[in-house]
Amino acid sequence: MAIPNVNAAELQTYKLTTAQKDAVDQIKSLVGPRGYVSKTEEMEPHLVDWRGVYKGNAELVCYPINTREVSDIVKICSAAVMPIVPQGGNTSMCGGSVPLKNSASIILNFSRMNQIRCFDKNNYTMTVEAGCVLQKLQQTASDADRYFPLSLAAEGSCMIGGNLATNAGGTNVLRYGNARELVLGLEVVLPDGQILSGLNALRKDNTGYDLKNLFLGSEGTLGIITAAVLKLFPKPRGIYAAYCAVSSISAAIELLDRARKESGDCVETFELISRLVMDLVLKHIPNCQDPLEERYDHYVLLELVSTAENDQELYNRFERILEGGMEDGLILDAALAQSEVQRQAFWSLRENATESQKLEGASIKHDIAVPVSAIPSFYEAAWQAILEVEPKARLIAFGHAGDGNLHFNVAEPANGKTQDFIDNWGRINTAVHRTVQIFGGSISAEHGIGQLKRDELTHYKPAVALDLMQKIKSAIDPNSIMNPGKVI
Amino acid sequence: MKVLVPVKRVIDYNVKVRVKADQTGVELANVKMSMNPFDEISIEEAIRLKEAGHAEEVIAVSVGVQQCQETIRTALAMGADRGIHVVHDGDIEPLVVAKILKELVDKEGPSIVIVGKQAIDDDSNQTGQMLAALLGWGQATFVSKVEIEGDSIKATREVDGGLETISVMLPAVLTTDLRLNEPRYASLPNIMKAKKKPIEQFTPVELGVDPSCRIEILKVAEPPTREAGVKVSDVGELVDKLRNTAKVI
Repeated sequence: MAIPNVNAAELQTYKLTTAQKDAVDQIKSLVGPRGYVSKTEEMEPHLVDWRGVYKGNAELVCYPINTREVSDIVKICSAAVMPIVPQGGNTSMCGGSVPLKNSASIILNFSRMNQIRCFDKNNYTMTVEAGCVLQKLQQTASDADRYFPLSLAAEGSCMIGGNLATNAGGTNVLRYGNARELVLGLEVVLPDGQILSGLNALRKDNTGYDLKNLFLGSEGTLGIITAAVLKLFPKPRGIYAAYCAVSSISAAIELLDRARKESGDCVETFELISRLVMDLVLKHIPNCQDPLEERYDHYVLLELVSTAENDQELYNRFERILEGGMEDGLILDAALAQSEVQRQAFWSLRENATESQKLEGASIKHDIAVPVSAIPSFYEAAWQAILEVEPKARLIAFGHAGDGNLHFNVAEPANGKTQDFIDNWGRINTAVHRTVQIFGGSISAEHGIGQLKRDELTHYKPAVALDLMQKIKSAIDPNSIMNPGKVI
Repeated sequence: MKVLVPVKRVIDYNVKVRVKADQTGVELANVKMSMNPFDEISIEEAIRLKEAGHAEEVIAVSVGVQQCQETIRTALAMGADRGIHVVHDGDIEPLVVAKILKELVDKEGPSIVIVGKQAIDDDSNQTGQMLAALLGWGQATFVSKVEIEGDSIKATREVDGGLETISVMLPAVLTTDLRLNEPRYASLPNIMKAKKKPIEQFTPVELGVDPSCRIEILKVAEPPTREAGVKVSDVGELVDKLRNTAKVI
């Protein structure tokens, strides 16, 4: 696998066809001066990915205001065979939301399509446009005494269109499923500009192929999601949070089982956090505090949630689960949040894991999933495999152990040379991904494929599946204008 | 010596407070309640005095409804030794709380009372000062550092424009500011231990205090919402707006 590096080489030039040049002019006049930017410095934030690994080229960044406009732009692009990169908050971890180097493209940024079209309280749904920031949707639901459970670290800037296109996961998958499972209907602009209107707010609808699921997780390679009907849930009222030091990874998995059974299946959060993650967060992020007095190797952030008011019974069960865990040696110590402030302080230890890694230096990331039962053996085997490549590597493991998804990241050795470490990128990837394969896991649990794992995917996805994906792609997007270079 | 620490049950700092539709107060139904953050700091300081060998016993006191026991339990889980709950339903004013605390001081004989400088619900910032006056004790308010020096306390206070260091004779009342310390979390073993710690109950009347309010709240209203800004095209328009619309020049 190639090592991405923004500064490695000067960007080469490329030429637009006459049809593409005309298309750019047509789009400019279609959207008007407020609907696009084309100066390099104005486009810059849209051309570089969040991690600073990928940088591409674009002729224009357009900010469409409605589905009709998206459709018109796509029609122009389709006729001119002009590649299109749909973009939301540009928080992709895999370079999925920025264009390729050395090729023409138009970026469609959805920040202006941010309306909530319909909020149906009794149907427990809301119909929203692609450019709504996730946090705004959570807030809107909460203000109306409802709950939209999709939650992830980038929620303050990521947009729902991107969340759906990448089938995002996050911290609530254990109880509510990933983004795909939170969608009832979709509105999609197809690569020829047609609008597929499927904004059904139905929980039961068996009328032929489930087309929306083609686009959920397609990362913009089959069409552009412009709006969606999202499922809502009753709002949690009692949230009981504990930050537990666990004696081992298998103790954590045993604790998860007990907590699910004994709470009446009220476990909403089960996040695993390793010691190094804690150390990096405490080192780099201001105002963070270790909730426990002693140092431990592994932690679990556990939350039980009730939609009932003052659910004293659940709280009592929560204490009993923790007490039992402590008596049996699964839990070594635990802090219980006594206020919302403390609960959020627990979360800030978890949510700053990615940010603090970035501040610490180079890291090689793996977003993997294995069956929950296989987590302890996987953890040990993958760590050994990494150490064989780089004996001084530091493991930054954290993630949603409750749903089998771990961020199994590797930080550069504390006093090593960054370039030596980066040179091992491919070998470390292979070490981890081969172990994933042995345990029947996935090399991309929730971040998608993007540019980062496109080649890697060909080693791990069965040939029949890859072939079928290619056939679907060719049928829907024959000119390959939709987010080229991503996924397949 | 003993240390007495009042702890107030207030709307959680992270909850968005809403005014009741009839404007008689703020919405408390189904709202997450927690210990006043300044009182957490007070409890932490008291426990640290005990850990440093200056204090033998930390007593947490709460005045209010039955659920204040949860707030006392939190204090006990952090490390306070026992609790006193003065049961009272309905509104209560700083002066009444100060009178209740005075009675408890007379009963318990602490050398230091550590009070949060204010509660985040009514922001009164009165109880500590009133208590010091009622007791005739010295007081160090808004403290960000406390050192015990024999029979007095050297206290650093947060004042406008800097820090002030004063010395107060014991017994004394301290009121705590944000920077004094970082309160600890309640650990599972300590929560379990806290369940066995005693909480005594009294009513204000049993302590000889009349809890009735002297202040009548006429109306509680939201602050006016901020209006959206406008863009001006040139300096002339700006000056015109400042003079004629905003009327500030």
